[in-house]
Amino acid sequence: MMPAVDASLRSDLLATSRPGGWEPVRVAAEARLAAQELPDASQEDWKYLDLSPLRKLSFRTAEVASPAPAASDIPGLVHPEMMATRQVFVNGFHAPHASCATGLSPGVRFFPISTASEACRLLGTLGEGAPDFFEDLNTARFTEGAVILVPQNVRVETPLHLLFLTQAQDGGTVPVVFPRVLVILDRGAELELVEEYHGEGTYLSCPVVEIRVAEGAILRHERIQRESLDAFHFGALRAEVGRGGQYHSRTVSLGGRISRQGPRVRLAEGAEASLDGLALLGDTQVADTHSFLHHAEPHGTSRQVHKCVVDGQARAIFNGQVRVAPGAQGTDAQQQSRNLLLSGQARVDTKPQLEIYADDVKCSHGAAVGQLDPDELFYLQSRGLRPEDARNLLTYGFAADLLARIPVASLRRALRHLVLARTQATSLGGLA
Amino acid sequence: MNATFSGVTSQEYKYGFVTDIEADSVPAGLNEEVIRLISAKKGEPDWLLEWRLKAYRHWLTMAEPEWAKVTYPKPDFQKIVYYSAPRAKAPKYASMDEVDPELRRTFEKLGVPINEQAALAGVAVDVVFDSVSVTTTYKEKLATVGIIFCSFSEAVKTHPELVKKYLGSVVPSSDNFYAALNSAVFTDGSFVFIPKGVTCPMDLSTYFRINNKDSGQFERTLIVAEEGASVSYLEGCTAPQFDTNQLHAAVVELVALDRASIKYSTVQNWYAGDKDGVGGIFNFVTKRGLCKGKGSHISWTQVETGSAITWKYPSCILLGDDSIGEFYSVALTNHKQQADTGTKMVHIGRNTKSTIISKGISAGDSSNSYRGLVKVQPKAEGARNFSQCDSMLIGQTCSASTFPTIEVQNRSARVEHEATTSKIGEEQLFYFQQRGIPAEEAISMIINGFCKDVFRELPMEFAVEATKLLSLKLEGSVG
Repeated sequence: MMPAVDASLRSDLLATSRPGGWEPVRVAAEARLAAQELPDASQEDWKYLDLSPLRKLSFRTAEVASPAPAASDIPGLVHPEMMATRQVFVNGFHAPHASCATGLSPGVRFFPISTASEACRLLGTLGEGAPDFFEDLNTARFTEGAVILVPQNVRVETPLHLLFLTQAQDGGTVPVVFPRVLVILDRGAELELVEEYHGEGTYLSCPVVEIRVAEGAILRHERIQRESLDAFHFGALRAEVGRGGQYHSRTVSLGGRISRQGPRVRLAEGAEASLDGLALLGDTQVADTHSFLHHAEPHGTSRQVHKCVVDGQARAIFNGQVRVAPGAQGTDAQQQSRNLLLSGQARVDTKPQLEIYADDVKCSHGAAVGQLDPDELFYLQSRGLRPEDARNLLTYGFAADLLARIPVASLRRALRHLVLARTQATSLGGLA
Repeated sequence: MNATFSGVTSQEYKYGFVTDIEADSVPAGLNEEVIRLISAKKGEPDWLLEWRLKAYRHWLTMAEPEWAKVTYPKPDFQKIVYYSAPRAKAPKYASMDEVDPELRRTFEKLGVPINEQAALAGVAVDVVFDSVSVTTTYKEKLATVGIIFCSFSEAVKTHPELVKKYLGSVVPSSDNFYAALNSAVFTDGSFVFIPKGVTCPMDLSTYFRINNKDSGQFERTLIVAEEGASVSYLEGCTAPQFDTNQLHAAVVELVALDRASIKYSTVQNWYAGDKDGVGGIFNFVTKRGLCKGKGSHISWTQVETGSAITWKYPSCILLGDDSIGEFYSVALTNHKQQADTGTKMVHIGRNTKSTIISKGISAGDSSNSYRGLVKVQPKAEGARNFSQCDSMLIGQTCSASTFPTIEVQNRSARVEHEATTSKIGEEQLFYFQQRGIPAEEAISMIINGFCKDVFRELPMEFAVEATKLLSLKLEGSVG
């Protein structure tokens, strides 16, 4: 029977002792976990995501990797712009030898969460809505992660880099990591943050990111999920954006056998948010994005473009909810879900949702699923491109569009190379 | 905004009256005995009784659906009267003059063109009055081309083989909670059969009307169009004003064979409850069309303005290659009304096409949701869908939601969905008023413009009615 196996993920992890600190939020999360099973298709939010591969595995919390991989070993993970502003975590543990925080602007703090004092009381309190199973797992068992504090009116010039590496030996129980990140931008602060996940082997990664962007502050957030193709990744993100604040995020999902992103963003009066996403999927990968954008107060603006390129027998899922609260007049919200199906067995399920409780608003959403435009293919062929190259170039163009505005040049280049390789457009050369 | 719109009074429900006819009812409540009684009263064959009982037994295992964005007190199914028939003063009516005068007055008040007006209007009307067909007109004229248009019970008697063949073939008795309930207790409805190659010479129409207090109406409609046949079917609804909620759980099944075409149009104006949400009809309807044949075509057009709660998703199963499904909808909610309506387009055959145009207007404290599914199955090569769902909000306390779901399993499919939300702008109104058009008329014109894509799909007389209906329903709410 399912529940016996199913209980393993929960019981394997809850059997371990409770880490110190943040007692009240951990106890609450454990209580919620005790009352729920691993989600299944009978729950509307998990209808399209089949978690049965997880049910067949047993889990353990990850231990220190030996020898620890160095970030420099992995191409595309070292960004010269952020050499002196990065924190690296390996298998859920802080890796001091690979980290460096000497390049921080005065007043800015960027440190491992295990060294945080109780001053980080905001942890576990930000954002809205009930946490899901994996978020609760994180809250109950996380031991490490990062805290970022930017004081009032400080504009941080150098971007910060957060890198989570996971290495798992194949066979036996599956290690689980629980990265936890807390980002607080005080009034008028400004920051660019790069959050990156990378790994090898079969493991489960359940990160939770909590963000507060105070009045007039601006956070630009690049999120790169390059987990191993055998890994599972279930991420939660909660952001609160204060009056006139801005939160711009871009999530690029390339890895993971099964992955899910669950950003929830609350906008106060006049706040702005963009929540873009790109998923490049092949083989039997499944990637799910469940986003919730809440215009809780008037005059907020939001933009969301979510793109999926699906090849092989892969499957992309998008469920994007935009809610305009009663009284949130003057809201301007736009959402787009665009999907490209490259193979006969690929599959896309998309569900953009608008819930509007105010009348003086401008809201729209759109969803499109299709293949490459035959006219465009013909045009490129008429210019001498081989059919194969024309297809790859158009696929690359569809995907790379979202990378163009990444401000960190080395990251932008690295991602373009990855996308080029994935879309087999490398032979065209010189595009990145 | 307030100053511009204020001073217009609310439109009361125009058709709120109760006809006093001694009804021939079974006691309230639901069990196998009641189902046997209904079946016996209607003189049904055994297979149909068995079909009902099977549906009932399945229904007992089902739970009422909770996923729709509507809240209402759950109906007590043991308090509903499942059968009531107007007592016949004569077994058969030779002409309209013999029909109960009380009943005729009801139809006159409703404006049903049942006598000479019917001829002028060119409409054959099969009037369903509290579950039993009272009279059928134009039957002979239709019979000359081989069309069968009669009440469902009559069809069971005269064409059992057709009913047996198609009943439940599109909406199985176990399909969903309300469809199962309907399958168990349905009392009457309409049956249409268009034989091979025949184009129905006139629009077919039936008026549904709930009359007996506490009698839920469980209609069953079955329309079959054989190869190359085509038909346009019109359904219009009004109901008297009651304070207790009435349940309406109809099932409509359409079957289109090769190159057949069925157009099904509805104007729904049942009692929506008063301004405070007291009373009103619960409209939980299952409507589905099966494009069974190659090149078949099913088109749903609906104008939904009534009912306290609407739960309705007219759908198309595009099974035949090159088949086409269409859904055109205007849903208007006001005061405390709640509507959760939309469509499902399931692409199974090759080169199937579907179009969805949905216009939602919410005013007052109402809630209006579009919920749709476009599904492209792995073998549906070249499937194409276009959906557009626009919402208009009038007032600060209403809500509009859009829940489209798209599932694509074939890469050659093209599926597009667009949705927008808007309001009637002060500048638009100012422009009209500056041209000498009063605010109220301007609003009506803007709304009609908003709904134009749907109205032009309606047969002419319905389009006129629908236009008036929207203006009436919105009077007083725009403030």
